[in-house]
Amino acid sequence: MTSLILWLLDRVKPLFRLLGADYGQLRAIVQVKLTMDNRRSFVSLGRYGKPAAENNSNFTRILLVYTFIGGLISLSILGIPEREKLFFPLTLQFSYVMALCAMTLITDFSSVIMDSSDNQIILPRPVGNRTLWLARIIHITSYLFAIALSLSVGGVLLLAYRFGPIVGLAFLAMSLLSAVLMVFLTNVFYLALMRFISEEKLREVINYFQIVMAVLFYGGYQLLPRLIDSQDVLTQTIAHQWWHFLIPPMWMAGTVDMLIKPVFDTTHLIYGSLALLMPFGGLWFMNRFLTAGFTQKLSHIDSESRPETSTVADQRTQSGKTRWLGLLASWVTTNPLERAAFAFTWRITGRDRKFKLKTYPQLGFGFAYVVAMSFQRNSMGSKGFFYLLALYFAGLYVMVAQYQLGISDNYRAAWVYGSAPIKTPGDVLSGSLKALIVKLLLPFYALLSTYILYRYGLDKISDVLLAFSNSLVMLLCTALLSTRFMPFSVEPDALKQNNTARGLLTSLTLGIIGLSHYGLTILPYGTWIALPFSVALFLVLLQQYKKTDWNRIQMG
Amino acid sequence: MSVIQLQNIYKSYASTPVLKGINLDVSAGQIVGYIGPNGAGKSTTIKILIGMLPDFTGEATVLGMDVKTQSLDIKRRIGYVPENAALYDTLTPLEYLQFIGQLYTLDPVHIERKALELLRLFQLSDYTNARMTTFSKGMRQKVLLISGLLHNPDVIFLDEPLSGLDANAVVLVKEIMRQLANDGKTIFYSSHIMDVVEKISDRIIIINQGQIIADGTFAELQHQRPESLEQLFAQLTGSDGQTGIAEEFVHTLKN
Repeated sequence: MTSLILWLLDRVKPLFRLLGADYGQLRAIVQVKLTMDNRRSFVSLGRYGKPAAENNSNFTRILLVYTFIGGLISLSILGIPEREKLFFPLTLQFSYVMALCAMTLITDFSSVIMDSSDNQIILPRPVGNRTLWLARIIHITSYLFAIALSLSVGGVLLLAYRFGPIVGLAFLAMSLLSAVLMVFLTNVFYLALMRFISEEKLREVINYFQIVMAVLFYGGYQLLPRLIDSQDVLTQTIAHQWWHFLIPPMWMAGTVDMLIKPVFDTTHLIYGSLALLMPFGGLWFMNRFLTAGFTQKLSHIDSESRPETSTVADQRTQSGKTRWLGLLASWVTTNPLERAAFAFTWRITGRDRKFKLKTYPQLGFGFAYVVAMSFQRNSMGSKGFFYLLALYFAGLYVMVAQYQLGISDNYRAAWVYGSAPIKTPGDVLSGSLKALIVKLLLPFYALLSTYILYRYGLDKISDVLLAFSNSLVMLLCTALLSTRFMPFSVEPDALKQNNTARGLLTSLTLGIIGLSHYGLTILPYGTWIALPFSVALFLVLLQQYKKTDWNRIQMG
Repeated sequence: MSVIQLQNIYKSYASTPVLKGINLDVSAGQIVGYIGPNGAGKSTTIKILIGMLPDFTGEATVLGMDVKTQSLDIKRRIGYVPENAALYDTLTPLEYLQFIGQLYTLDPVHIERKALELLRLFQLSDYTNARMTTFSKGMRQKVLLISGLLHNPDVIFLDEPLSGLDANAVVLVKEIMRQLANDGKTIFYSSHIMDVVEKISDRIIIINQGQIIADGTFAELQHQRPESLEQLFAQLTGSDGQTGIAEEFVHTLKN
């Protein structure tokens, strides 16, 4: 892939000169970045990767999946409607491409565009703002293009077959432009942020923004199609309204639609010109106005790590927090080691950006999913069954957090577990797990329960309690069944993806427990009677987990 | 002509002042030891000089060029090796040096020849095509030193250049620095190892809390108080009486 991209870059060399970059440097940076991606055991775009020895076969695998899914989607929404009614299906298709690109950008882009590990290597060299910025854009865009291509390849073939090669090509071009447009939109946002927000705050802000955006996207992706009664819309011709010009997927759809029909009225011509102008205009605009001081801002990102002498007020709140945390820890833990692990995990989970980024969106997604499903009527069977499903389903998302607990960028610091005379590592594990339960699970379930109690009535309280206790049991089961790691001791991406089988097992068990819970709701007071048993089981399992000895623990 | 010139440099991060009026003038062919306690502002000074931090007040020129406006031109003619610097360790030394060379727009064939030769001189010939993930600290430092000097810069900024090197390599690098200076290159380096600074520097500058508190040859500095640089440093930076602190430390451990 590297040589293909470099070959393509060589073809458009003058363009980069025009944009004010030094082509030699640009090519060198892109080449090195891609080479490193290939060599790293994972692709720098975090989500794509676990193992892969010499190549990014994992990325290839993801692309194959995208091709398959994309093909299916294209077949189902572009295959049937007649020539006149393709506008809306096309819009859906492009929305899909854009949404996936945007998700990729939001979760992975900031780490590429604002990668401060380059600071020591590239910034002291004579590399200009634009060159570095463009190199990073090209690096990320090459991945996006691969994604957009694989998603639309099915559509391209289908449209080319139905309406001739020109339409197919136009569809292809529009898919790629969608990717470019997404790069532009995310970039404007990030560069604007870099401009207006102080350097120290930048990473925090971006972190929270990523979390919110991830939740919105996941949620929106679930919600929107459910809110629209899709059967009707798909088969109707659409009346163009002025605000349609504000929706990017419609530009792309309009352009392809124009060639399909073919019709060249004002509306379609506006769509067409927007589709062509916005991505390129956007790139030019960014390059012209937003890149100034880019490298300088980058070099500031590191300087945030300067030690700051805390002020008196800081110290006061800090010590207040510490006392409060200590109190909480002493309530839920039984010995000093467990207490230490509890406080430690509590603090790290609140401060480690990677942990927050990997965990919070999952929880948000879980919640969004529940809300989305509760709006969808008639498809989940009876109403009584649904909220149970929601409660147990949410449990799955919480398991992700447990999985993340072992991982940290700072995994090297785990040597202390080896050098300290820890006799009962199980205490560390259980303390850490308790922190997770109190800090993440409890509030999450509280939120979820409030929603469910509000929507389905207060008498469901016993179900909520039982489901919570059962989820804890499940959480401990997963913890007991999986390889046990000391908290934050494993290199990210080092964990192999051998969880599929375990994940299936977990879902199956979860399903069985959920079903038996449903059975209990039919019996009078069934849930209330089952509750103590569930809690007892949880406590027994927790004791088991606490007894974990060194033989059961895998050190990174 | 002075190679490095700093006039009234002030710089703060957020509201914390880091440099409070630095004045400095370095001429060609000098080895300048720039020393100070942690957080005194050493790295900040160097970052300003290589054009990485343009938002300071005062006048700074390197090789007669203004740091604020001509930083790219300056970067072309200086070399910089930061302390414990990161490098792209999934690459091999040769690939990495190729990459760095390309950033200076040097001819690839020329870089390769030069890089191989330099690696050989640092006894890394056997590792030119091995990935640097497995390299020891000393080996990485050697690659970093080469990457900072590859384009034959006129001014060289080194931050703790001997870190991680074994005894033989230390002798070698010190000798390289000496000969580069004899060739008319200017070397500006900071270190915490006082014995080395004492022996190698033509001129020693001590900075504390963002201000220069001593400046001169070792002989000149010694003239005021005939002690080792280590003691002089402790006295000037106000950390005298380390023996007492050590006693207290050990005592606290016992409790």
